[in-house]
Amino acid sequence: MEKQPILELKNIRKTFDKLVALDDVSFSLLPGEIHGLLGGNGAGKTTLMNILYGLYRKDQGEIFLNSEKIEINGPRDALKRGIGMVHQHFLQIANYTVLENIVLGTGITNRYTMQMQPEARKVEELCQRFGLPVELNAVISTLPIGTRQKVEILKALYRGVKILILDEPTTNLTPQEVDALFESLRVMVNDGLSIVFITHKLREVLSVCDRITVLREGRNITTLDRKDASEEVFVRAMVGEQMNIEKSVYFARDTKTFGEVDYTAEPLLRLTQVNLISKEGVARLKDVSLEIFHGEILGIAGVAGNGQQELAEVTAGIIPPTSGKIEQNGRDVTGVPVGERLRSGLSYIPEDRLHDGFLPKASVAHNLILGVHRQPPYSDGRFINWKTVYQNSREQIREYNIKTGGPEDPGGNLSGGNIQRVMIARAFSMNADLLVAHNPTRGLDIPSMDFVYQKLLQRKAKKQATLLISEDLDELMLLSDRIAVIYRGEILGILPREQFDKYAIGRLMSGIRSTEPATP
Amino acid sequence: MKTLGRTILPYLIAIAASFAAAGIFIAAMGFDVGRAYQTILLTSFRTPNGFIQTLLKFIPLTLQALAFTVPLTAGKFNIGGEGQMIVGGIAAAAVGITFSDLPPVILLPLVILAGVIAGAFWGLVPAWLLYRFGLNEILTTVLLNFVSFALIDLVATGPWRDTTAGHPTTIPIGQGGWLPMLVSNPPLHSGIILAVLVAAGIYVYTSRTTGGYELVATGANPRAAEVFGINVKRMFVFSLVLAGALAGLAGSIEVAGVHRRLIEGMQSNFLVLGLIIGLIARGNNLAVPFVAFFIAVLEVGASAMQRTLMIPVEMVFIVEALVLLFVLLSDVVRRR
Repeated sequence: MEKQPILELKNIRKTFDKLVALDDVSFSLLPGEIHGLLGGNGAGKTTLMNILYGLYRKDQGEIFLNSEKIEINGPRDALKRGIGMVHQHFLQIANYTVLENIVLGTGITNRYTMQMQPEARKVEELCQRFGLPVELNAVISTLPIGTRQKVEILKALYRGVKILILDEPTTNLTPQEVDALFESLRVMVNDGLSIVFITHKLREVLSVCDRITVLREGRNITTLDRKDASEEVFVRAMVGEQMNIEKSVYFARDTKTFGEVDYTAEPLLRLTQVNLISKEGVARLKDVSLEIFHGEILGIAGVAGNGQQELAEVTAGIIPPTSGKIEQNGRDVTGVPVGERLRSGLSYIPEDRLHDGFLPKASVAHNLILGVHRQPPYSDGRFINWKTVYQNSREQIREYNIKTGGPEDPGGNLSGGNIQRVMIARAFSMNADLLVAHNPTRGLDIPSMDFVYQKLLQRKAKKQATLLISEDLDELMLLSDRIAVIYRGEILGILPREQFDKYAIGRLMSGIRSTEPATP
Repeated sequence: MKTLGRTILPYLIAIAASFAAAGIFIAAMGFDVGRAYQTILLTSFRTPNGFIQTLLKFIPLTLQALAFTVPLTAGKFNIGGEGQMIVGGIAAAAVGITFSDLPPVILLPLVILAGVIAGAFWGLVPAWLLYRFGLNEILTTVLLNFVSFALIDLVATGPWRDTTAGHPTTIPIGQGGWLPMLVSNPPLHSGIILAVLVAAGIYVYTSRTTGGYELVATGANPRAAEVFGINVKRMFVFSLVLAGALAGLAGSIEVAGVHRRLIEGMQSNFLVLGLIIGLIARGNNLAVPFVAFFIAVLEVGASAMQRTLMIPVEMVFIVEALVLLFVLLSDVVRRR
């Protein structure tokens, strides 16, 4: 017996200026299923769901809800029809309580006294039913990311949605939190909800979804039942025909190792008891001691906002530590400004590319030499050798697959993924001893991510060291020789590759110190 | 060639549109539009006098515009070119009067240099306030203009006052401080060479040198420039001091080349025109001299139009403002 879809999107098309974000995409959701929407960055997953939620207007196509054609003119419209969405970035008021955030914007029985007992009872009932335990009177700003996500889901459930869209919900969750989320999702669909689960992580959709739709470059490639398809089919659908999956790092098994590191030699970089206290007097880094050896990739795991940015900037010399010592190749570089560090064996991929790494009003060539503009062959110290710069820029544009009109094109014309490629090209072309890379693959599609991974591994062969700070635990476990876990500015533990275990790392990420080594 | 065409085309459309719009006003006021525009556009090229008048306007306009666009390259706004020019003129006159007996070989460089240094100092004050206290440079540069008005009043009515003149004016500077003439009748002084060299130097500096690269990077995104090792605060200070020096040079050229004394009001409306030129050029240091020449043509044409056709000179201000508006509008149109 074939079930009638609860929701159907037919032949949706959406363009942003000349860029076709979605081209003739169709999607159908059955009642009571978890439907995975899978694809790399820029595949159009979020755009499609934003159209469904009324945040974007479609150029062409039709939406059917319970076989009835509808138009959705905004999120309010979507909610009224029982469609809710949990965004990657939460829309919450930080100094309100959980309950206040949930009921905000809905009718309250006692609107003048703000007595909300009936509402609270209703929310509590939802918490229990779906296994989403949250302290309703806690203030949002005091809660960890995982709990704030539960609040966001409760917000949608409280509004009585029948269809719930989750956009990359596992970003920034520990593995334990991911498991708990998946359990809740299962309860929800058993209760009659239908769920769209947007992600770029294949393993997640395979473990939780009933059906999976794969998008690539704004087209839908295939929709398959989970039980009918093998992993290989989805991989091929996600990346297209050109990519060589056998040789890829991205799809390699994480048991594979990529070369040994000599831990008996002197480390390339050593941080000793590094502390950083912010202007407001808050400790951002506490007694951080790390060593990175020649040919090593040291991963830093942690939930975003636990001191990763500060660690990157202190290591790169952008901000001096309050106390402690930083040595590179035996030389004390504590307090040496970043300009000099860049000239002596450092390169840096900042996390916030738009704010910290990019010159929108200057040309692509300007961007590609930022930081090395005083060094040969680009400069003799006084004049920029533009001929060499343009020549090298053209080579980098080709090698790193940056989509631009040429080196003289204004940087502001680049898309987010291409800006990231500029960051990558700049950092790798410096060929520095030490690379500080903070979320280096953010915004890249899978073949580009794989390219970055290959480049990172090539550094190992050259005995160069990399500090890889990432929100993506899979990425860290794939590439790192050791993983250090940061929690509230403190390194809670450092695990060697043979002890990698995502639950052990997850425990450390949520601040639980384990004394005994992790057991599988 | 194609890109050059694409760059210039919006300008031509903007100019044509602004002339058309202003033409409506001129016609409505009952004047002959054709003759008015003929006068405005051709006065500079009909007679040697007209052309030299244009070049004499071109010098301070170019320098004032650069005094605006150089800090703009680093993302800072210098609205103090007027004050920097006045102070440069005062210093040039002070040196020229005090050491009036010195031979030209010594006195002329001293006079020019005094203006440059004084202007640079007038740029250093807001730069330091920005560096040390983070004070907004727009505010401080504008306010320093008013200080300079009081200063020139003090000097032009003080002990150096020329009592025979009806207007606050100092006595002439020593002959050794006069800029040599390229053409004696009508008079064209050699400051034009200085201005062209300086404009070329600024272009080479901003587009070819490492320091210029850092200036551009700072203006494009100061935070990113800082993260990648550029001392942006130093770039801010440097750009404002350099701007002051440029405006100061304009002041000393006016004193040493045109008036040979300090006259209150000699700064004319060069600041505002400089801003307009800088904005029409969209901050592009290479385009500045060309736009400055175009504005100089309009300015000279405007006076001629008032003399011969009795059309108020303000009409040309309207045209200039409209050109700017239409150029800015073309940005908006292109973005659509």
